[in-house]
Amino acid sequence: MKKGITEFSIRRPWLVIILAVAVTAFFAAQFPKIKIDTDPLNMLDQNEPVRIFDVAAKDAFALHDFIAVGLVNDKTAFTPDILNRIYRITAEVEKIEGVIVEDILAPATVDDIKQGPGGSLIIEPLMGGEISTPAEAEYIRERIKSNPILRGKLASDDGKAIALFVPIQSKDMSNRIAGEIKTITDTHGGGEKFHIAGLPVAQDSFGAQMFKQMAVAAPATFLVIFLLLFLFFRNVKIIIAPMVVAVMAVVWAMGLLIVTGNTVHIMSSMIPIFLIPIAVLNSIYIISEFHAHYAGHRQKEAGIRHSIHELFVPMLFVSATAAVGFLALAITPIPPVRVFGIFVGFGTLAAWFLSLVINPAFMMLLSDKTLARFAQATDDRGLLSRLLHFFRTFSSRHNKGIIAASLIVVVISAVGLSMIVVNDNPVKWFKKSHPIRQADMAMNNHLAGTYMNYLVFEGENSEAMKDPAVVTYIESMQGELAREPIVGATTGLPDVVKKVRYELFGADSSKLAIPESADEIAQMLFMFEMSGGDPGDLFKFVTPEYDKANLWVQLRDGDNQAVTKVVERADDFLAAHPLPPGINVSWAGLPYVNVIWQKLMVGGMREALLIAYVIVLVMMTALFRSFRWGLISMLPLTITVGAIYAFIGFVGKPYDMPISVLSTLTLGLSVDFAIQFIQRMRTMYDRNRDFQQTYHDIFEGVGRAIMRNVLVISIGFIPMLFSDLVPYITVGAFFLAIELVSGIVTMLLLPALARTFRRGLFPAAAPEAVAAEPSQAQA
Amino acid sequence: MKRLITTAVLALMALAVTHAIASAQDATEVMKKSHMAYYYAANDAVYEVTMHLFDKKGGERTREFTMLRLDKEDGGDQKYYTYFRQPSDVARLSFMVHKNATGNDQRWIYVPSVDLVKPISADDKNSSFVGSDFTYEDVSGRRWTEDNHKLLPESQLDGKAVFVVESTPLKPYKGFAKRISYIDQTTHIPLKSEYFDDKGEVVRVEKAVKIEDIGGFPTVTSRSMESLKKGSRTVVDFTGTKYNVGLKDDFFTERYLKTPPREYVK
Repeated sequence: MKKGITEFSIRRPWLVIILAVAVTAFFAAQFPKIKIDTDPLNMLDQNEPVRIFDVAAKDAFALHDFIAVGLVNDKTAFTPDILNRIYRITAEVEKIEGVIVEDILAPATVDDIKQGPGGSLIIEPLMGGEISTPAEAEYIRERIKSNPILRGKLASDDGKAIALFVPIQSKDMSNRIAGEIKTITDTHGGGEKFHIAGLPVAQDSFGAQMFKQMAVAAPATFLVIFLLLFLFFRNVKIIIAPMVVAVMAVVWAMGLLIVTGNTVHIMSSMIPIFLIPIAVLNSIYIISEFHAHYAGHRQKEAGIRHSIHELFVPMLFVSATAAVGFLALAITPIPPVRVFGIFVGFGTLAAWFLSLVINPAFMMLLSDKTLARFAQATDDRGLLSRLLHFFRTFSSRHNKGIIAASLIVVVISAVGLSMIVVNDNPVKWFKKSHPIRQADMAMNNHLAGTYMNYLVFEGENSEAMKDPAVVTYIESMQGELAREPIVGATTGLPDVVKKVRYELFGADSSKLAIPESADEIAQMLFMFEMSGGDPGDLFKFVTPEYDKANLWVQLRDGDNQAVTKVVERADDFLAAHPLPPGINVSWAGLPYVNVIWQKLMVGGMREALLIAYVIVLVMMTALFRSFRWGLISMLPLTITVGAIYAFIGFVGKPYDMPISVLSTLTLGLSVDFAIQFIQRMRTMYDRNRDFQQTYHDIFEGVGRAIMRNVLVISIGFIPMLFSDLVPYITVGAFFLAIELVSGIVTMLLLPALARTFRRGLFPAAAPEAVAAEPSQAQA
Repeated sequence: MKRLITTAVLALMALAVTHAIASAQDATEVMKKSHMAYYYAANDAVYEVTMHLFDKKGGERTREFTMLRLDKEDGGDQKYYTYFRQPSDVARLSFMVHKNATGNDQRWIYVPSVDLVKPISADDKNSSFVGSDFTYEDVSGRRWTEDNHKLLPESQLDGKAVFVVESTPLKPYKGFAKRISYIDQTTHIPLKSEYFDDKGEVVRVEKAVKIEDIGGFPTVTSRSMESLKKGSRTVVDFTGTKYNVGLKDDFFTERYLKTPPREYVK
């Protein structure tokens, strides 16, 4: 097969290019059909219980995702001027398409229950119109502070911060609506800074931002890689091929993803940046090999045949192992991860195939004059050569020291791995300086929090939630949860009952308690509805049938770790204090959903990584026809994965979504050098039967190609370090780390092992065929 | 010739203006008559009311109560008394409104579980009546003098000739930005009212589902209100409606909140 492909590319270069362009054009034509999905719920399978429950809870209590808008003023936010502006802003926000007007929480929209003249009860909007005196402003602050339903939510006790909660019809409107709110606050703003926060905004904005980032990061990466390749090969024409291969592989993978009806999720948006290095790697080997051969023989076609012949097997295995790493993701329980794995796996194989056909086709089109200049360009005396010389002598002289050092690294890595902390928070996918992070910090410092979880109590029959035992239980759960520092506020049915009762009895604090009879509870709630309280407000806390109650648990921190602590506190309380008979309790809300999918993701990734690891080991053993060599070839990748993740453990960077996805990429990329190095070393030894010669030549040959790859990939992705989005920075840093660590380990440890265990690994007598492909064809 | 044209134009203009004024007057007159027919039938009334509250998902809650009404004068102040029977956990809870035709209403509630009468001074007539899609104002009526009225082309509804009146509040009002009423030309009963928000979208639609003649008064015995955005709907059925039973003014005092007048409230 390999010969057929190569010969076809040599004989019909134009046809190959035209066919490849045609296929690429077909896939590119699918791009307009792209469907983008940033809904974190879709990280979970449709049938995942937590997802079903979250949807059911939102439906039962008519809950919506919301955007939190906040204002922080160092002195006080309660001045007539600021409040009036917020009043006008609220009126404008109500006009935005997609805002659930009746559920907006703002001074102008919420009702206040209070004592009126003559011992009467008044229910009226907290801020019925614009105000003119500081005393009125101060009065509003007092009312918020004394109302358990509003306290901390609408304003901080010190009055420095005010918040509005703007519920929206669906999460995918968050970014647009947040933008419109910003325009409104800008036009009505004085000197104060308005913040816009909340998980839906973070997640939806991330979706919008990632495409913008992609539009900058991908071309920047391309440019840097192009420049580096030029530095190595000094010939624009010859290095166009790798770039074309990379673009085509990306277009094929994304096009197939789109045409098969899959949606582009946060994860799959990273497919292009994963494919670029993989596509470029293969081409660099081919060009390096061709360059070396052409410089000596000056024969174009023979040079191509030789290069492909030498590289076909290692490239096949490199791509296959990388693809296995990605395809293993198909077993994870997270649908977007499955899509990501499958299509990046497909892209890897496409990149392999394309580099096999496009590189030779492009070379065929080059004139002998161009190639002659290309052959003359060398970096023999450059930095690369000095580095290679260093690796050669150092690994030879300190072979045992290198092995010992590697063992120490493995031990230290084990310690670091045990220190890994699993944590994530989509808001933190933005840099600290990003407005979304700023908003998150400012608002959560002052107010009860922008992260909303719901603890849902379910009874077996209607009216169950009017039972004093149940309402009292919810009340004590509130007391327990409030002890967790990140819980900013809890609001539920007990608060409504107590507040109405308190006001009914003329603001009597002794009545701020749950009544003992179900009828009284029912009548307090009826009072709320009777006296002009919006029933919609009440049914955020209890269903109209009174079979379910909803406790709002507002958090100042959306880190999965923090959310887990709250959940565990509730669990402990439930264990120590049995629920009233017939009552069940479950969590809903975005922060909780994030915790669950992270758990599934971490578990699923671990499994995928282990399976991929075993499969790669089996493949390596098959490739080298030796279990011993198979094991050795796994060393660079084992040490690389171990060291990088240990580093994450040591520095305390949370193990989050991007980092867990990158584990499979690390596996695929870092096995690459080992395969090239071992395969080529053994082939060489097989031919010359001279260990010293082989040891010397391997650094010149494949060593140079490996070093070029290390430099191209690690430097090529440096533009990503300047992204606004943390996952992109993480990816860039990972490429750098993977290439450097696995490159150095390959160039030091593998030769050191070869030298140390030379007798066992390189038998003097002719062994069985070394490679899967017979290697009689000497070029 | 020139003078003739000028005169003709002036005459036409005058005609247009007077027509517009007449139309406005007619519209206001229609709304006033409608208000009288709907909210001031007879001098007093006793209603047995069943209210069905349907939520978005089709879930139903019911409220049953007796309602007494006494008019001081047609189109003027009124008194309402409401005594709840269902849901059973609020049975005996009662509620009274002294409607002030030109100012703020007064309201009292009696809470039996704590045996307490509490005055409620809610200025917000636009708030929900006992959790239904009707507002307090829907129950006791919005005075025709609070809006500008304009007659739209006459039309037919359910086989009846109707006046179509567009009303816009004189003062900015949260309840609606515009209302279109379809008023039966013979009985002046509003058959349908559409409430628009300031985006120009219909938010609520009220319909007279069933109209019967009771003691010579055309009476809506079933009316519905649908909140389009919330997806909820309320249907109110009136049974055993009696007019001119001779309700005493005394019934509408705090004392009767605790112990309802048994001859009317069973």
